[in-house]
Amino acid sequence: MTALFRPAPLAITIAATLSTGCAFTNTAAQPEPVTKASVVTHYADVAHANYQDALITAKALDKATDQLIANPTEANLQAAKEAWLAARVPYQQTEVFRFGNTVVDDWEGQLNAWPLDEGLIDYVKADDYQYELGNAGATANIIGNTRVNVGGETLDTTVLTPELLANLNEIGGSEANVATGYHAVEFLLWGQDQHGFEQGAGERPVTDYATGSDCTNGNCERRGEYLDAVTDLLVTDLEWMVAQWAPGNENNYRSELTNGDVNEAVQKMLFGMGSLSLGELAGERMKVALEANSYEDEHDCFSDNTHNSHYYNGQGIQNVYTGTYRRVDGSLVSGPSLSDLVEANNPELDARLNAQLDASMKALGQLKAHAESSDNPMAFDTMIAPGNTEGAQIVNNAIMALVEQTGSIEQAARQLGIEALSPDDAGHAF
Amino acid sequence: MQPIIRAFCASTLAVAASLSFADAPMDGPQNTRAGWHAAIQSGYDLLAEETTQLAEHASSYCTAPDEQLRAQLEQHWRDAFMAWQQVRFVDFGPVENNNLAWQFQFWPDPKNLVARKAGYLTNSDQPITADLIEQSGVAVQGFPMLEYLLFDEALSNSKNALPAPHSCALLTTVTRHIAENSKQLSDDWHSFKTPYLNTEAYQVSTLKSAMAALEILEEKRLAKPMGLRGNGKRNPYITDAWRSGTSALSVEATLRGLQQHFLPEFLKLLEQKGEAPLAQRIQRQFEAALDNFPGADRPMATLLSDDNAFRTLQGLYVDVSQLTTLFNDQAAVALGVVRGFNSSDGD
Repeated sequence: MTALFRPAPLAITIAATLSTGCAFTNTAAQPEPVTKASVVTHYADVAHANYQDALITAKALDKATDQLIANPTEANLQAAKEAWLAARVPYQQTEVFRFGNTVVDDWEGQLNAWPLDEGLIDYVKADDYQYELGNAGATANIIGNTRVNVGGETLDTTVLTPELLANLNEIGGSEANVATGYHAVEFLLWGQDQHGFEQGAGERPVTDYATGSDCTNGNCERRGEYLDAVTDLLVTDLEWMVAQWAPGNENNYRSELTNGDVNEAVQKMLFGMGSLSLGELAGERMKVALEANSYEDEHDCFSDNTHNSHYYNGQGIQNVYTGTYRRVDGSLVSGPSLSDLVEANNPELDARLNAQLDASMKALGQLKAHAESSDNPMAFDTMIAPGNTEGAQIVNNAIMALVEQTGSIEQAARQLGIEALSPDDAGHAF
Repeated sequence: MQPIIRAFCASTLAVAASLSFADAPMDGPQNTRAGWHAAIQSGYDLLAEETTQLAEHASSYCTAPDEQLRAQLEQHWRDAFMAWQQVRFVDFGPVENNNLAWQFQFWPDPKNLVARKAGYLTNSDQPITADLIEQSGVAVQGFPMLEYLLFDEALSNSKNALPAPHSCALLTTVTRHIAENSKQLSDDWHSFKTPYLNTEAYQVSTLKSAMAALEILEEKRLAKPMGLRGNGKRNPYITDAWRSGTSALSVEATLRGLQQHFLPEFLKLLEQKGEAPLAQRIQRQFEAALDNFPGADRPMATLLSDDNAFRTLQGLYVDVSQLTTLFNDQAAVALGVVRGFNSSDGD
């Protein structure tokens, strides 16, 4: 497939750059004052650009996996893995849009659900496979079977299409039955990580996609069909989300957000930042994994790319506050931001929050640097191993930095007159 | 999981407290906190007592195992676990040190980490020592590990079933770890009295801790296993204490703990704010929620699979929901409590 570079994002980027440029030059006309409304509009621009990048890189991933399926060589497997890693960079930054924007939260499970019981998808080594308690589908092995029966539901899986895989998500009612999305693709490229706390990721042989007698672990053709379908679905799903944030459409989510109550929209922005920062990233994704020494709670467990997932989650939080986003082509999207609004009322708080966001990125940068170190790498699953005090310190520093910034995000909310940070009444209706 | 933002706040507050508010006469909020401090102290003291008993009985059973000692041991586990449920709502102060709350109860455990860790420890040749438990992470250090050893069906049919030497070593070492933690917590809470009384911000911390506990009770301990959230499927394994069949009992214990250790001062506080009718409604709602017991004292798997039992559970859920609404909407507004982020905002 070819990646589509549409003219719209470019125009936004240029317009945004120009307007910020104008703000600092005396010769130009006075810029429009920053208002909550302009901040919300720009937030939608950032989201749009970010999802476009996720789509662009997903299309590249789709193309690379197509090549792998057509010609299963080591080089093509490596290229597909690299395309997957590149696709995670923009996607993880979009996660800050999840909390608060139900349109994203309701949709994202099909793309990024985690943790998953990979035995639903393909073969696993049984003695080192822990799955969710009570999950009847944990060993269904869709690739190995043309019919699967999970907790009384029987499904014909003869033809593996994107629609079928979408329907298989959460089959049998377990959230760990993830048939689709980035982590399913990750598993199909890397395979099960059987190294525990030791150095090393999954080691799926490229011959798992070979034809004829070269095929390892059986069902190579079906494995290829699965990979093809699941990457196609990823692209279609992202296309849908890009459209939700695109300007000039009266019926999409962007229109609803920018024409709705401006305080509610600002609340969503802050809620997304705070929820990702504290509950999700510092809590679920780092503290639980660390305190329980649980590599099962590692986010990108097949590829050992967890450090980047965390790093770009943090970047997403900073993006929303500062109204800036560095696109995958290197261009910068910038415009009216929450930071501008807070600065106008309380420059000290704005400076503190900006410093804390920088400190979090530095702490997450340390995590990334240790994981990617060429001479003595320490991946996230090694950092959380029992007795690894150095690793625990690195993770704890990142947790504490995120906890501190969340305190200031709460203050920023109050500064902007947002009292309640709970999102709508999500989860409380009965 | 317990909110973690307060780990940071508490240490800041403790420092602030030691620098100010020396020997001033007690004001109204300080009186409230004095009441809470004493009530919570009694809860922590009970926990220390029950866990000491548990450790002693684990040791007796493993020295000379028989059925009677086993039954006593299981009962002591239940008593100690329920003592923990009664003070589980306190999520600030000494319980934040060394993640004590998580050490007592690592939950939820969707990946069955407790069983995995137990398997690893009991199948290895490494001697099970206090140091090893210290280093083995929160999934090993608390009540769920003991529950696994005592009540897990698959384990009890395997070669590692109690009183197998390695399983017994794990059992006795973990019970001692819990007893020591409980003693520490009780002592630390005692020392915490001055900063707690002198630091205004703990007023809100205490109120928020009860509100968060009710929310977790409603959402994570009832609604989710009942299939009222997410994908709509009932799942007993996502409650706490499913192995021992005490999920519902532990809900009752948490409610009773709030009623005993938190409610009396809370009601006075509301009355002082001119909210006597709301205070009465909250008191009545507590009683209504607790009225569901002993009918609801059954394993979650039974409550979810039997239609009549499920109706009992629904009754409990509705009562707890109403209680949460009274607390978190009406009382929070009346007392000016603004809720921020907490660690359960994730998914």
